[in-house]
Amino acid sequence: MPDNGLLVQMILGALLGLSVYLPMAAGQLSLATPAFYAVGGTLAALMATHADHQGTISLGAVLWEMVVAGALTAALATLVGLPVLRLRGIYLAIATIALVEIVRVAILNLPFTGGATGIFGIPQPFHHPLGYITLSGGLLALCGWAFQRLETSRLGRAMAAIRDDELATRCMGINTTRVKLSAFVASAVLAGVTGVIAAHYLNTWNARQGSFDVAITTLAFVILGGSRSWLGPVIGGLLLTALPELLRPVGDLRLVLFGLVILLGPVFFPQGLITPALLEKLGRWKLRRLKP
Amino acid sequence: METAEAEAMSEQAASLELHGVSRRFGGLQALSDVSFSVQEGEIFGLIGPNGAGKTTLFNLLSGVTPPTSGMIRWRGKRCHGLSPDALNRLGIARTFQNLRLFGELTVLENVLVALHHQAGAQLEPQALALLEELDLAHLADRRADELAYGNRRRLEIARALATKPTLLLLDEPAAGMNPSEKDQLCDLLAEMRQRHQLTLIVIEHHVPLLMQLCHRMAVLDFGRLIALGSPEQIRTNPRVIEAYLGGAR
Repeated sequence: MPDNGLLVQMILGALLGLSVYLPMAAGQLSLATPAFYAVGGTLAALMATHADHQGTISLGAVLWEMVVAGALTAALATLVGLPVLRLRGIYLAIATIALVEIVRVAILNLPFTGGATGIFGIPQPFHHPLGYITLSGGLLALCGWAFQRLETSRLGRAMAAIRDDELATRCMGINTTRVKLSAFVASAVLAGVTGVIAAHYLNTWNARQGSFDVAITTLAFVILGGSRSWLGPVIGGLLLTALPELLRPVGDLRLVLFGLVILLGPVFFPQGLITPALLEKLGRWKLRRLKP
Repeated sequence: METAEAEAMSEQAASLELHGVSRRFGGLQALSDVSFSVQEGEIFGLIGPNGAGKTTLFNLLSGVTPPTSGMIRWRGKRCHGLSPDALNRLGIARTFQNLRLFGELTVLENVLVALHHQAGAQLEPQALALLEELDLAHLADRRADELAYGNRRRLEIARALATKPTLLLLDEPAAGMNPSEKDQLCDLLAEMRQRHQLTLIVIEHHVPLLMQLCHRMAVLDFGRLIALGSPEQIRTNPRVIEAYLGGAR
């Protein structure tokens, strides 16, 4: 059974997985999640350390940071998304990797973000991991509710249609640029807000938190978990965040094993762990239980 | 369709106007200087040998590709240079010759996507009514890529109708259908036009079907408009016969 601290990281992983999933649900391979995660985390670190909180910070102040981080990442994503979303497939992925690098180098070199060592002593709203579990778990539950609704909404259907055939979607009168931008902005906001929680939980923040490695790890969450339902990235995020820690007893071999899982996952589960067929089976099982 | 009626049609104010429309792809002149007009409520046929530019013309009308030069208007509004989604919101919908359904979505969801801009919290009843009209309601929960060919063609029409068009462009709606399906489609299209007050432009290789269905027809050959008129006039036009059968030059 994972300890409480690991549970927080697992939930944060699930949230980042959902952030990568959002553009992908509209057929866009964006790896920009770590950039917005870094912006959110850095913003929280700066806001919390510059105000005089004397070691602790109120939950209200953290929520306020989440609101500011959401607004900032939404604005940034709109600005970046409009030109970048004109690209498709692997070219979009490359452009978003560039964004991750730009943000990382900027945070590393800006005079007020602590350079290579980063920002220390970020005040904590909770003295026990249970507080963080409640906060991040609450956010994950809210996301679950929102994603479930999205799948049967106009926007969600338009996203699925774009993933299938963008030109045909446009010929149905749908402004696909707007739909893709909405998904990209929502993804950025989710990553930014997750960054705020992570900064407080980790107590310290530096440029390495939003690196290219994170882009690959979070992409693996979606690929291993499955990209056809929001449950996929959640399961992928929870499992793949827990795995390196659970493998700790095997020592240095753990990173090799972790790599193997990421490599072999798609071979044995090409559609991810949560597939449409599995969901359909679950749906039928639920129906049978409801009907006596 | 009687010639007299066709002439009456062409005297009405034109709703779709094309003036000197051309499209070049690199060294290929896909359409050159095409001008004609289509009246509101008309069923207009478009025929021509393979590579004549019929689908290119549909791509220009639906905004998939912009014309290199020329002017297109629908109900007085400028159409050339607009995006496909903007043109659809102006009332121009189309189907695709090589079917572009959303294969991973269900039949119902395909229509729901197209109802994106329709008001109302409950879109399902509207979608089901359209599926009913096209005799697809019993397949509503099936994935679109599981459908038989004729059903896919009808789903493309249902999806286009869901956007509430005033001008519907049908690119080979009868392709791959058997003779009885073709007959049914013919009746269906005439009925659709009445019920939804549509103007129809139909590309079709099955010329007898078009002759039966259309008020007027245009014939394209090597990107040029070579004939325009009632089915009767087209049937006897020497240039059309030459284009199709190859003239003794």
